[in-house]
Amino acid sequence: MRHARDKQSDALTIFLGVLGELMITVGLLIGGYIVWNVWWDSNQSAAVAAQDVKEFYQSVEAAPAQEGEVVTKGDPPVIDPVPHGETFGVLIVPKWYGITNNTMPLKEGTTPDVLDLAAAGHYVGTAMPGEVGNFSVAGHRRSHGNSFRRIDILEKGDQVIVETKDTWYIYEVTGHEIVLPTQTEVIAPVPDKPGEIPTQRLLTMTTCHSVRVGEWGNDHRWVTHAKLVGWMDRSEGMPEQVLNDPGVK
Amino acid sequence: MYAALWKVLPGPAWLRIIMLVILLAAVVYCLFTWVYPWISDTFVSGDPSIEN
Repeated sequence: MRHARDKQSDALTIFLGVLGELMITVGLLIGGYIVWNVWWDSNQSAAVAAQDVKEFYQSVEAAPAQEGEVVTKGDPPVIDPVPHGETFGVLIVPKWYGITNNTMPLKEGTTPDVLDLAAAGHYVGTAMPGEVGNFSVAGHRRSHGNSFRRIDILEKGDQVIVETKDTWYIYEVTGHEIVLPTQTEVIAPVPDKPGEIPTQRLLTMTTCHSVRVGEWGNDHRWVTHAKLVGWMDRSEGMPEQVLNDPGVK
Repeated sequence: MYAALWKVLPGPAWLRIIMLVILLAAVVYCLFTWVYPWISDTFVSGDPSIEN
């Protein structure tokens, strides 16, 4: 009887030992995934984005590193829509200098093959930069380069700058809303009023957000709106806030 | 489980440690190169866009 009980407890010890090791292994695998997601993969995506931006700058005339004059009257130049996946500009959020990978390639399309390259993806069919309507872009929050990670620190009046081949477009944040992923009206030509004829030149950024776990979740969308306050010819110079880029001075 | 792995490996302790380090590096490489990207694409929805 005593002998049998010993055998039983040996089997139990082995079982518990293997179970414990399996649980440790699963924990390490999950920890590894998090390391991969927030560090390894994001660095890889950011490196691709940096290369895309570099190639864009090589394909256009360099803007002189001096403060240019901001134009606020008249109509800004507008470029034609480009094919899916093509880089047509750069998105800069001056408030994010030194915080996240900030100078992001602007590409056409919002599918994973575009956004996973740490790009800001332009919603097909929405206005182009500077155009009357709602120039809308999507970017990842806490994966694939963390493009729009700190969208939560943008406040009314903060600048969002779009740079195309010939023009800087300076937008200022007007506010934000947290909506469900299906609420497409936020990128309507007049945000939240689908069907209305636009009169303003707007910009909208969308990214992941969770009402429970913030930047880590995906159950909602953080949507930040901005409106055009001026533009500048790239041959004139740079917007004041771009000159604050630690990489420019 | 891990004790069995230690027993299966041949050679002196220092050689076994080197082998384990190489084995661990290979496992991490496979995870980072194939397994995690697959999990991310297949199970984790990180879509930041708005759509119907």
